[in-house]
Amino acid sequence: MGTEALKKDFPIFKVKINNHPLIYLDNAATTQKPKKVLQAISNFYSYSNANVHRGVHTLSEEASEMYDEARRKIARFINASHESEVIFTSGATDSLNFVASTWARNNLKPGDVILVTDAEHHSNLVPWQIVAQQTGAELDFVEVGETQEITLNNFKNKISEKVKLAAFFHCSNVLGAMLPVREISKLVKNNGGIVVVDGAQAVPHVPVNVQNLDCDFYAFSGHKMLGPMGTGVLWMKRDLLDKVEPYRYGGGMIDLVEMKHSTWADPPEKFEAGTPNVAGIFGLGAAVDYLTEIGMENIMKHEREVINYAASELSKFERVKILGPKDVNERYGMITFYTEGAHAHDVATVLNSYGVAVRSGHHCTMPLHKKYDIPASLRASFYIYNNKDDVDVLTGALKKAFEILG
Amino acid sequence: MDNEIYKEELMDVYRNPLNKGKLDNPSVSILERNPMCGDEINLQLSIKDGVVSDVKFDGSACAISIISSSLVTEDILGKKVNEIRDYDRQKLLDLVGLNLSTSRVKCATLVLTALQKAIKQYDSGKK
Repeated sequence: MGTEALKKDFPIFKVKINNHPLIYLDNAATTQKPKKVLQAISNFYSYSNANVHRGVHTLSEEASEMYDEARRKIARFINASHESEVIFTSGATDSLNFVASTWARNNLKPGDVILVTDAEHHSNLVPWQIVAQQTGAELDFVEVGETQEITLNNFKNKISEKVKLAAFFHCSNVLGAMLPVREISKLVKNNGGIVVVDGAQAVPHVPVNVQNLDCDFYAFSGHKMLGPMGTGVLWMKRDLLDKVEPYRYGGGMIDLVEMKHSTWADPPEKFEAGTPNVAGIFGLGAAVDYLTEIGMENIMKHEREVINYAASELSKFERVKILGPKDVNERYGMITFYTEGAHAHDVATVLNSYGVAVRSGHHCTMPLHKKYDIPASLRASFYIYNNKDDVDVLTGALKKAFEILG
Repeated sequence: MDNEIYKEELMDVYRNPLNKGKLDNPSVSILERNPMCGDEINLQLSIKDGVVSDVKFDGSACAISIISSSLVTEDILGKKVNEIRDYDRQKLLDLVGLNLSTSRVKCATLVLTALQKAIKQYDSGKK
């Protein structure tokens, strides 16, 4: 993959940070946007702006068609069995809250168990804490181990008929570890449970086939895969579409409204009350086109090279301690590490002075950082436009940081 | 290059901060956290006859936080509580003398929040 040519597609790389070229390694937080995505958003507002599914005038029909086309594209991208399984949300957090507020709150009861891992992003933990409080169900935790195999075994030990809902990441936003979603799903479902997967860190980096994963709900964000902020997807398995209640109520989601009673439109409209983020979704469709053109297999292969190089370069520093799977090939999208004797924020501030953007903090995983007994860590997360040169700038700046911070 | 915030004289403070540790029998003790980064500072004051007779801070924190804790504790030691009541963000930033980016101001003000809470706790204990 020619990353230098790719970078030209992204206007942000013309920006200088402290007089240095931008080395953007915070892709797990959000990715940069290519011109095609920016143009799609701007074109919508410039030439096609109208509300969807409301009017018979030309622009409204055009907007509706563009919106539906984006849904079909995204359905194909994750291999949904039908486009109505793709429900637009404002992001993965919204998607997870959707499931918590609908299926979970309406079906769970005292004695039931909600199973999550000890390494979830707060967005896949806090909603379940609230559901547990509201329904009387119990929240239980699976420890994420060094390998997929260990984690799968840890799941086996926790599975019982009491587990009515299991929610876990596909790819961890700190460890970069992938979970064997298909195998875990089988375990949970064989015991009568429902499976919710947080795919925010997986969809941007690996080919995702939701039918193959065999879960019930799959959540992801648009802005972590070149799309605009405020866009996301909740994929819901087709046989649940009629069983799950609406998440929000209002215009666009109704069939018939009487004074004291209403009926719902068919899915997916049933789940999308109010004016949707049409421009954003159109931008997300353009992002999916962009990724599809490069090919998810190629993206995966390219990231593998960069991550393996970064892991080997970073491990040359004695003071750098890398979190997550020991086998670098089990690590996707990112390398999270802490620096002995230097606080993550201080290191990140020095890196920034060389134009290197990394995340420092607890990355919305406070319990996980408590488990490792570190207040904060640094995360270098990569995407299609990053290359080995970026890694060299990172390690060069890291050397400087250690000199300055002692 | 913009590593002004890690200039040498301040890095000396970072490596050898004043008043780091714990007090045996503090008048007030406040644990303050920055939820954005997980930093934690425990600020302890001994107050006798309305004067800060001893002060210590401890915890896991970044350089900016440690530097400002060292400077603030150094500044308030021996002062009357009434004199430090008006300690605010501007006074702290002047004391630290750094041009901090927005995201790092919070690191510096962690100790300030702890100090303000400590004074409040001291006042309510007196009543």
